Amino acid sequence: MLFPLASVRFFSMRLALLFLSFAPALLQAQTPPDLERERADFSSWMASALNSPLATRAVVPVGAGVRIGPENSDVPFPGIDARVTEQRGTLTLRIAGSDRTLPRYRPVTSGELTVMALGEPGRTLLVVYGGSRRSKTPFYYPYNNAAVYVGAIQPTAHTAVRVLTLEGMEVEATEAGTVSVPDGAGSIRLRVYRIPEAGTEESELMIFFRDGTSDKGSYPAGRFVTLLPLPDGRYRLDLNRARNPFCAYNSVYPCPAPWPGNTFATAIEAGERYQRSTGQE
Amino acid sequence: MRVRLLVPLLLLGLAATLKGQQIDGPWGAVLDLAGGPLRFSLYMRAGSLPNICNGDQCSRASRLVVRGDSVLIEIADYGATINAQIRGDSMVGSYRNVGNRGPRVIPFRARRSGWRAEAPPRWLIGRWDAWFVQDGRKSPRVFEFRNTEPGLEGTVLSNTGDYGLFWGHAVADSFSMGHFDGSFVYMLTGRLDGDTLRGLFHAGLRTQTPWVAVRSTGAPHLKQPTEITGADTSSAFRFSFPDVNGHLVTQDDPRFRGKVVLVDIFGTWCPTCHDAAPLLTRLWNRYHDRGFEIVGLAYEVTGDSAADGRQLRIFQQKFSIPYPLLLAGVNDTQAAALTQPQLQGFTSFPTSIFIGRDGRVKKVHAGFWGPATGPQHQVLVHDFEQTIERLLAE
Repeated sequence: MLFPLASVRFFSMRLALLFLSFAPALLQAQTPPDLERERADFSSWMASALNSPLATRAVVPVGAGVRIGPENSDVPFPGIDARVTEQRGTLTLRIAGSDRTLPRYRPVTSGELTVMALGEPGRTLLVVYGGSRRSKTPFYYPYNNAAVYVGAIQPTAHTAVRVLTLEGMEVEATEAGTVSVPDGAGSIRLRVYRIPEAGTEESELMIFFRDGTSDKGSYPAGRFVTLLPLPDGRYRLDLNRARNPFCAYNSVYPCPAPWPGNTFATAIEAGERYQRSTGQE
Repeated sequence: MRVRLLVPLLLLGLAATLKGQQIDGPWGAVLDLAGGPLRFSLYMRAGSLPNICNGDQCSRASRLVVRGDSVLIEIADYGATINAQIRGDSMVGSYRNVGNRGPRVIPFRARRSGWRAEAPPRWLIGRWDAWFVQDGRKSPRVFEFRNTEPGLEGTVLSNTGDYGLFWGHAVADSFSMGHFDGSFVYMLTGRLDGDTLRGLFHAGLRTQTPWVAVRSTGAPHLKQPTEITGADTSSAFRFSFPDVNGHLVTQDDPRFRGKVVLVDIFGTWCPTCHDAAPLLTRLWNRYHDRGFEIVGLAYEVTGDSAADGRQLRIFQQKFSIPYPLLLAGVNDTQAAALTQPQLQGFTSFPTSIFIGRDGRVKKVHAGFWGPATGPQHQVLVHDFEQTIERLLAE
């Protein structure tokens, strides 16, 4: 069972409340500076990065090749005439009559067009960026310090499973185990998958969950949250850090299917919110 | 009028100098990973490129901008930056690099004056056989710990090479060592528990892997580097890639015919390949007159031959490399493996392929034990020399 961080700090919190009782609302809504910075960084990345989901035009499997250009192309893009092909795992971008090898997991720009190849050879997804950029700013529930838990992962069978990541890419994840957290009067065991970072020793322990706010204030398909390791080998689950999959920002991304069992009975009013598009964006 | 203009200009110049003086010198820096602080050193001087150092091993950043109290360090090779604000004798900010799910940001802080060298305890020094344990799977590693002038140094070796030089400190029965070169963020923390070391290996901000280690008995713990990648030896080894000037170079080029050739599969982005380059250059200089050649097949980052060619030229100049470097592809192990159909089980950069005078593969050495591995590096150097001597004599 992961313990609410608020209870670990109960004694010091009581002292804090004693001195801050004049501003309980402020205490409730106070977002820690590191999370504040993280959110500001993410907003700025969304607004300006070449590979931001707000700049994405299409996400398509490379398969037998993808043409980007005139209206009847796989990806219509006025003013561009490009083709991406894959042969024995090597990707080639042909644009303006010349070929260049396309790396994976790295945005490549040529004029107005930016593309990025994701996934393994033979199952490559091509993300096409460029043209007009959507404007959507992530927004969040007020900080909820009751939604932060600390504890250990309970190991399970460590089975390999293919899942869609937050950015809609299919990867082979490993079930790292479960974490148990309070859910109303009872508790819920949340499944944790280890999502590898291609080409590095790194990976993220992620939980994709739904809850009482899904489609009622938060994204209908669910939200992702990453477990943060602590120096003593335990983990912090901070549901204030729950974030939407990229399909919430741009419908060209495939949306991950909910992970079995990871549905809270109660509403988790913490982390990123979602408002359905009004069609006016 | 001139005097009036000069005074503010002089003041501006003085201010710039003062700001410059503010950053000059060594800084004891920290990346605050979720698993604890990773220590490294920054050596800065206004008007020069800053050095990012683990112990006495440094890599140079590509740009330093100081404006007022703001410091920006660019690490162009990895598309990474350190942004910080100077506050008296401290700097506070963040390290960030490009990510596909959002920016990867790690809190950064530093204080003036470098880290003090602390002699590590004797119980830690030496070689340890370790197992990394993740999701029920165990994979072998070897730790090498040394007492050096800058303090505790060492490295982590895997079946396919080492993780670069780690530097750190030990207190009582615990130790913490880090490796940060502007891109890779690794930290090894552990504690002595009886005769066993136990701890965590941290990679980046959010990955930590438990490990357990016992003192090495000398018996092999890792796979031999020559047992990892196989090769088709039934016919001559073939390659055909352009050099930085766009000229196609193949195994049939007269400079390789009838020679002993070392094919170095590498990338300029790969720190271990930087460790390997000086040795390969030394070997070329020593054996070239006796019929030895080297060709580097580079798997680069962008796939843009102009940009990748520039990186290759910089690499060639940096290490005074006398042998040809060819642009073979992009740095994707799986895709690279597909461009080398005569190799089986290609897994690591660098990989050294030794070709005999008959053009056939005689030996494939996966990975590279760099100078940080100490005795292992000496073993590798000896093995490379012996192999070349033997093939030259055939």
